[in-house]
Amino acid sequence: MSDVSVTKARPKLPVDGPTLANILAILALLVIGGLQYPQFFSPTYLAQQLQTGAFLGIVSAGAMLVILLGHIDLSVPWTMTAGATVATAVVGSDPQPWISETGLLAGLLVGATIGLVNGIGVAILRIPSMIWTLATNNVILGVLVYFSGYYARASQPSTLMTWFGTGRTAGLPNILIAWAVVSLVVLFVLRRTTYGRNIYMVGTSEVTAYLTRLPARGVIVASFVFAGLCSAFAGMLLAGYAGQSYQRMGDPYLLPGIAAVVLGGTSLFGGRGNYSGTVAGAILITLLASVLSIMQAPEALKQIAYGVVIIVMVGFYSLRDTRS
Amino acid sequence: MGDPILELSGVGKRYGGIVALDSVDFKARSGSIHAILGENGAGKSTLMKLLAGTIRPSEGQMKVDGAPVDFRSPTEAARAGVVCIFQELSVIPDLSVAANVCLADPPRTRFGLIDRTRQIQIARRIFADMGVGQDIDVDARCSELPLSKRQLVEIAKALVRNPRILILDEATSALTASDVQPVMRLLRRLRDQGVLILLISHRMHEIDELADTCSVFRNGRHVETYRSGARTDQQVVQMMIGRPIEQIYPQKSDPATFGPTRLLVDRLSWTDRLKNISFELRAGEIVGLGGLDGQGQQEILEAVSGLLIGVEGTVTLHGGDGTTGTGSFALVSEDRKTGGLFLPLSVGRNLTATGQGAFSRFGIVDRKREQAYARGLVDKLQIKVGDLDSAVETLSGGNQQKVVLAKWLAVDPDILLLIDPTRGIDVGTKQEIYRLLRDLAAAGKAILIYSTDYDELIGLCDRALIVYDGQIAASLEGAALTEENILSSALRLGVTSPAMQEARA
Repeated sequence: MSDVSVTKARPKLPVDGPTLANILAILALLVIGGLQYPQFFSPTYLAQQLQTGAFLGIVSAGAMLVILLGHIDLSVPWTMTAGATVATAVVGSDPQPWISETGLLAGLLVGATIGLVNGIGVAILRIPSMIWTLATNNVILGVLVYFSGYYARASQPSTLMTWFGTGRTAGLPNILIAWAVVSLVVLFVLRRTTYGRNIYMVGTSEVTAYLTRLPARGVIVASFVFAGLCSAFAGMLLAGYAGQSYQRMGDPYLLPGIAAVVLGGTSLFGGRGNYSGTVAGAILITLLASVLSIMQAPEALKQIAYGVVIIVMVGFYSLRDTRS
Repeated sequence: MGDPILELSGVGKRYGGIVALDSVDFKARSGSIHAILGENGAGKSTLMKLLAGTIRPSEGQMKVDGAPVDFRSPTEAARAGVVCIFQELSVIPDLSVAANVCLADPPRTRFGLIDRTRQIQIARRIFADMGVGQDIDVDARCSELPLSKRQLVEIAKALVRNPRILILDEATSALTASDVQPVMRLLRRLRDQGVLILLISHRMHEIDELADTCSVFRNGRHVETYRSGARTDQQVVQMMIGRPIEQIYPQKSDPATFGPTRLLVDRLSWTDRLKNISFELRAGEIVGLGGLDGQGQQEILEAVSGLLIGVEGTVTLHGGDGTTGTGSFALVSEDRKTGGLFLPLSVGRNLTATGQGAFSRFGIVDRKREQAYARGLVDKLQIKVGDLDSAVETLSGGNQQKVVLAKWLAVDPDILLLIDPTRGIDVGTKQEIYRLLRDLAAAGKAILIYSTDYDELIGLCDRALIVYDGQIAASLEGAALTEENILSSALRLGVTSPAMQEARA
């Protein structure tokens, strides 16, 4: 064999392969878009893209912890909707700011509770997460429709929610700052805490984790709770951004949220993946949707482009893994 | 002896900066049993993987029957007649024995579906050929079989493909004595039919009995090939490790130095597998569980560890300070691939899995202390690893086992429960592990070890409990701890103690 040089130790890159692949794909999209529409490179446009991407980014942050465990959370859409609906309902119940602003807390509490139920079903009752979270999603849907369904309920966000959703601090959209804060928390948790280390170990092998006496169940429950919090938070931000909560508001975030994590190089079987990839994956998906909209691509073409990007990227990771 | 069916020239394999094989020249003839000897990390397994097509060489050329080959997959290798039985078990637990045997190329009906009847016939014939036809139910699920029988399935899986070159990588390490004999007869018969058998084994007496040619590897190099019997064991071991070994087993302790009871098992029963088991384990003592494979030894350790549901009787652990119920224990499980290690994760993460409290505060990890902690364990157990960030699955079997031990020793358990900790490990590492266990016992630990190796029970343990059909058939110690006594209690033939022999004389 002649390619001996290939086997030499490669220098370590500051970013991992999947993150790099996402960044390259993002740059390619910017070039393609920019060649046709010069305004593509304007900071206003880019900031606006990141702002729309933030909802997806926060959802995928929560989804990633669950996927790292080899599980999945399909209750994202109605957890988002429930968080936003409950928050705006509290807001509508009393105009006094000290009451209406507790709406945010109520929304987070709803998210955490749904996450807790998800976690208990998966970790303790040991029901496959794909079934259990699909079921909880349907239950929340039913409950929300039952209580608020056929006539208009209070759906106005509070001042604080609006500030989060549309306000700016030092020129940066607040929602972007919120995404950055969530991201820093996830990065810190995964890299620097025993809980983060345990996520990777439980995700690699729950049996070994159990025999090693790691708190496997606690790790699973905590991760579902975190995912629920992220979904509810994203739902409330979306309500603040859109100026109201509405049914099915979370629907467009389920599959893209999972896709962002997988595009970012996290294995659906658990145990492997870096958070930087998830962030890059969320940006890539958002930008792709935006480029296709600007080009006024028909819906069918959008779906094809969307599918092709996933196939190419994930196929590339898979090839790379089987080679090494 | 036939023609050289296999020829390697200048074959090398590198992983990153690590040289696993260094320009190896090697020849083997058809109709022979050719043993490959060497320590862990000597390059034996890498060589076998190259031949089996699971990895490709970085350089050099392989020839089969004089024709150059470049296997890109195990299927291509099998097509050329090269089939490998790996040390790691690869049977699919939820499929039947017959389905596993025919997995690679199942017989089909004319509709293209799997022909179950013929599948069962094929499996029956193979096991009958192997001489173990009575012992294996080809309809049983593989998950229901003990490790030893699963290994037989593994061998059958290879034979069904009619290999011309058959590679056994530690494929006999989990076999019990009663299964080894038929397998040996089978290998001899295959040799007489002109098959080349490449044998990697750490059981020296097996090699003495079977091999006609031996090749020694060290540090990725081919050291020497000689006719079996042309070198003494001492010379062979010296070639393998480059230094003489004095004594495999460390000096046993004086029973008078044993401390207080650490583990008290009283009338332990579980389903129909364990019946009324009682014994105690004292500080400083190494007690072995022996007997035929699958008599309940593993269940005893699992019951003591609290892994089984519905256990009757009591298990009491005593702490180092003598208080009841506070003793800590560690279970080093049988299969380090599934129970002991997070294979794709780094060596560092594996080493630090149990002792996170030592380098974290409020759940936040101090990375410098974590690094030092892992380094400390690497040094303490002399684990051969370059980079703590490399995946633990890239280490050799012996070093993997050391990682498992290290991770448990780090939390300083009072009682150590081990299941075949030296299975498939080379002599040098075995010796290090024996030394380590003896040192731990001397430091006041109580050690309970299930071993399928009688040598180990005799050489290492202070006392051996021979288990038969879920009961303790005999407790052997001192001069009564002999191979003869172990075997006769394992087979329920009655024990002859030196005292009884004297009385008879």
